[in-house]
Amino acid sequence: MGVSQHRWDDDQHLLDDLADAVREAAPLVGSLAEQGKGAYAWRTVDQDLLLASLSFDSSLERAQQRRSDSGDGRVLVFTAAPLSLELEVMTDRVVGQIIPPGPGEIRVETAGGATFLVEADDAGFFELPDKPRGPVRLRCDTPSGRLVTDWVRL
Amino acid sequence: MDDGDYPITSLVLAAAAGDEHAWHEIVDRYTPLLASVTSRFRLTAGETQDVAQTVWLRLVEHLGDLREPRALPMWIITTGKRESMRYLSLRRRNVPYDPLDPSWLEAAVDDAEPAADLLRAERHEALLAGLAELPSRQRELLLLLVEDPPLSYAEISRRTGIRIGSIGPTRRRALARLRQTFAISDLLTGPAGMPAEPDGAACLDGAAARDSDQARER
Repeated sequence: MGVSQHRWDDDQHLLDDLADAVREAAPLVGSLAEQGKGAYAWRTVDQDLLLASLSFDSSLERAQQRRSDSGDGRVLVFTAAPLSLELEVMTDRVVGQIIPPGPGEIRVETAGGATFLVEADDAGFFELPDKPRGPVRLRCDTPSGRLVTDWVRL
Repeated sequence: MDDGDYPITSLVLAAAAGDEHAWHEIVDRYTPLLASVTSRFRLTAGETQDVAQTVWLRLVEHLGDLREPRALPMWIITTGKRESMRYLSLRRRNVPYDPLDPSWLEAAVDDAEPAADLLRAERHEALLAGLAELPSRQRELLLLLVEDPPLSYAEISRRTGIRIGSIGPTRRRALARLRQTFAISDLLTGPAGMPAEPDGAACLDGAAARDSDQARER
């Protein structure tokens, strides 16, 4: 950091480094900003809806641990106390469970605008008919509460 | 932490309350930072778009619990890196593991960025986060000054309304201000200002990280 500090004491060096940073990012800026602006349309205004954060993702475990269980599904956990949602993503199917176990309705939303509904059985188990592409989130409606998960790619 | 007069605070509060213009302003200011973070992972164009979209969509929902708007750039950096890594690991997952297949080795090597690249990336992140904090006029001037190929002062004057003779002094003030931004002074003061492990995102992602640590130990 000391290097940057002294280097950036000089106006021209600071501007040169800034130019470097801006130019490297430039090719992506237009399309990423457009997506960013579009994202606001998905803002949730429902105050009673719990936001369930992605609290565990087995795909982010260390490579060695991951290799040892290679072939098993990827496990995702979304938590919004007292409810949580667990997902197992396999090659071509996605199954999940509402925790604590109980019935409910799951609505899958894709960033492309498509949504579909699945029912969770009395033990909270459900299965998505298809593995969605791109970012998705799940809305979960149960007798004990409602939640929406973080956006994630399955 | 007291955010003091952190210039992004009012934008975050307004966007969280439903002001779409404030959100657009946040996006315009922070897209270069997000672009810089994601460009390091050599993702395909489609993957980069997906990562960025996930980060923005998630940020929209988390604006309200971003109790310290000063943590916003670190939140973007942390989430952008994490989502990019998810794509890398998913890509690997979809290929059966073969210890003799050299592509696994390449993928592993990709994870270990050389120290020099890492420092350069951190400097870029600090500069772009600092740029995002500047008042619009100063930000616009600096962006024009770094255009490639370079613009003449006459052209910059025409676009900004700043007189040719004032561009030099305005540039000096803008750069001085850039050095004083939270993002850059945090970087320059090192660990005390901003821990290497992105604590800035603690109010959002820290809990998730702790949870996942616990889950791993189970």
